[in-house]
Amino acid sequence: MAAHSPEKLNEDVLRPLVRTSWRFYLTGGILASIVLAALAAFIYQVYTGIGVSGLDRPVFWGFYITNFVFWIGISHAGTLISAILRLTDARWRRPVTRCAEAITVFALLIGGMFPIIHLGRPYLFFWLFPYPSERGIWPNFHSPLLWDAFAISTYLTGSSIFLYLPTIPDFALVRDKAQGWRKKFYGFLSLGWTGTPKQWHRLEMAMRIMAVVILPVAVSVHTIVSWDFAMAPVPMWHSTVFGPYFVAGAIFSGIAALIIAMAILRKAFHLEEYLTPFHFDKLGKLLLMMSLVWAYFIIAERLTVWYGNESPEMAVYWSTQQGRFTHLFWFMVICNLAVPFLILSIKQFRNTITGPVIASTTVVIGMWIERFLIIVPPLERKYLPYSWGTYRPSWVEITITAGTFAAMALLYMIFSKLVPIISVWEMKLGWQQEGEVPRAVASQAPLPQLAPRADLPAAGN
Amino acid sequence: MARQWGMVVDLDRCTGCEACVVACHAENNIATVGEDQAARGRAMHWMRVERYWEGNFPNVRVTYRPVFCQQCGDAPCESVCPTYASYHNPEGLNAQIYNRCIGTRYCGNACPYNVRFFNFYNPVWDKPLNLQLNPDVSVRSVGIMEKCTFCIQRIKVAEFRAQAEKRPLKDEEFNPACVQSCPPKAMVFGDLDDPTSEVSRLAQSNRSTRLLEEVGTLPNVIYLRSVS
Amino acid sequence: MRAVYGLYPDPAAAERAMKRLRASGSTLGFDARHICLAASEPLDEFDLGWKDQKTPMPWLAALGGLIGGTSGYFLVSLTQRAYPLPTGNMPIVALWPTGIVVYEMTMLGAILTTFISLLVSARLPHWSKGVYDPAVSEGKILVGVVNPSQATHDELVKTLREAGAEEVKDFPSS
Repeated sequence: MAAHSPEKLNEDVLRPLVRTSWRFYLTGGILASIVLAALAAFIYQVYTGIGVSGLDRPVFWGFYITNFVFWIGISHAGTLISAILRLTDARWRRPVTRCAEAITVFALLIGGMFPIIHLGRPYLFFWLFPYPSERGIWPNFHSPLLWDAFAISTYLTGSSIFLYLPTIPDFALVRDKAQGWRKKFYGFLSLGWTGTPKQWHRLEMAMRIMAVVILPVAVSVHTIVSWDFAMAPVPMWHSTVFGPYFVAGAIFSGIAALIIAMAILRKAFHLEEYLTPFHFDKLGKLLLMMSLVWAYFIIAERLTVWYGNESPEMAVYWSTQQGRFTHLFWFMVICNLAVPFLILSIKQFRNTITGPVIASTTVVIGMWIERFLIIVPPLERKYLPYSWGTYRPSWVEITITAGTFAAMALLYMIFSKLVPIISVWEMKLGWQQEGEVPRAVASQAPLPQLAPRADLPAAGN
Repeated sequence: MARQWGMVVDLDRCTGCEACVVACHAENNIATVGEDQAARGRAMHWMRVERYWEGNFPNVRVTYRPVFCQQCGDAPCESVCPTYASYHNPEGLNAQIYNRCIGTRYCGNACPYNVRFFNFYNPVWDKPLNLQLNPDVSVRSVGIMEKCTFCIQRIKVAEFRAQAEKRPLKDEEFNPACVQSCPPKAMVFGDLDDPTSEVSRLAQSNRSTRLLEEVGTLPNVIYLRSVS
Repeated sequence: MRAVYGLYPDPAAAERAMKRLRASGSTLGFDARHICLAASEPLDEFDLGWKDQKTPMPWLAALGGLIGGTSGYFLVSLTQRAYPLPTGNMPIVALWPTGIVVYEMTMLGAILTTFISLLVSARLPHWSKGVYDPAVSEGKILVGVVNPSQATHDELVKTLREAGAEEVKDFPSS
């Protein structure tokens, strides 16, 4: 096994920032056209009225709110996982944290748009924020949507800072290596970082505080998202299990998104040496555990409803067990439990990168369906049978949904072209802590021969 | 003087003629959305008459229940609105302030009775219906929630008149459009806080029930129904 | 700000240079506060002045949280009372919803305070004023003396070089 070399790390991580292949532009072009289609669909919706969606009475929320919950869930990939790994000082986190934190910021930006996209009068969205207006009225803090606004803006602020802080030294690195406009750009972003002991100490302290603070925020965010539903007296929404159920589901889908993003980055930017099967194995185990936790919540929710046998709830229950949503329900169970369990509980499958990626893909699909099944069936079967309804998404909703997936991929691609996707200094610090003395590049002394480390298998094995 | 407007609907009298539905549409400028939209579940009837079949063929009995906003005391729709478009007015009505509404539709989800309606498009009236709009009621634009107001425009007119004439308002002076147009006189409107009013007398009946009482919304609409 | 600094290939060399500078400070006319250092990673494992740092940042974060939470409470209670509208038979200022906003504002206060206290205490942003050499990004460690007296300049250069510096430079480079 080759010794870790800081110069190779510098080069590997900085290469994507300067060299861009035609594949990037092609993929970016395709994604951008999907995003533009979604934008056009949204403009059409604002112009014509939200009637162009498939929403009706009583299903007032459909794809848009599903996307909202889904993306806010995905956002738990980063900050939460990264904060947990930082606090527990899991050494293997080092190449993973940046990819994860970036997912959080972009998923939040995308998820946060949906409460605005779905409004009947989206041009008045700012009425949700507390500001002194000529109308003399303030928003209603009793409303869970206000809690959402506060929770999501806190989380977005926090996770942007959480992403930015450990990137400052890496911006300084790029600044020193770059020429032309890049030198100015990264010089600006690095805030004139020089790396004095004081700066390093304060930065590490700030990251420790942020990791402690951001965890309860992340938990609160998805709890509050779940309360959008749990606060309303709708059968199978009005449930105390929703808070932890949503948080668990968020972490679950977040890990899946992270695995997919890492696999793509690894392939696209040739980071095989840093994002190793070892990391996929660790994250695969986490994903397996969250899959079981998810199953536990589903059982806890379904069993209590079935046993309690209250007629309004049973109407919803049966529509997902023996009604029009049955196939979707069991497909979700296959995606979220059967496939991940089969792949990830067997070491031979988990240890490949393909295995966790397949499992993660089904989990992302399954978790989207899960959010849909939480939102739509209860609205279709709400108390009085006379006013039951059905929901069928329109092409506008489908286009906008596709657009957000494309937007996520596009934002992430652009990010990976502008920011070192692996935290260089944290990698180096990790090597140093494990007894590998950092050396300067120009020093021609041979690198010390290192004993192969038990916890890190060599790349590409 | 604080009032608690309420209504009593005698289901034993209701014939299901739907005169109340038509009267409500005419009085409150409710848009007719057309066949296609109605088939998609977007029809707007602040007042609807639910029809139930009881028993097995051939011994079938049909019963009706007019359902409209129950003007709940503990209204789930009010507290979830982020912009106070839905709030509780001093006369115990569940008011909907159209100008404040930004169309989150959260109130519609929270309402257990599904009696809140959303303007999916800007309203249009087929000719000559466009000539019969009630000048006392604002027309709602796209993206706004609306629902039964107990004909608040009539309440206000009666209140102002009583105020101008310096006399207490009497329940019999006015009625919402549905009550006024009910041929079998199945509906009675009035002040539930006034023990002498017709409506509070009827509310004490041993036939009185409230719809979905178990949800805990404290509706101010009381249904009278003999248990057969 | 002027400085004389050496670039050292590894932390051990930097540590040696540090020791020599500290020892020779009195003869060359500077004290420990004038020694400057820059590295491309935190060198926790070496005696380079990382360990003995103290900062009130956690307490500031707690204070920021307190301020955030208090302002959250006043935001809710004052605005709800300014235009009181009853909804759902709840109090105008209801305990639980207020608590949620207070919670989020507490966290926001702590986050922003941490960020600001980092910027202030680490003197950021600090565009192109600090003693620095782009070679630091290649793994070199910069050890030097800020504002050295002209009289001892050559002596200082010698000391830095003897400690194992690959290069000794003046800042700003002329």
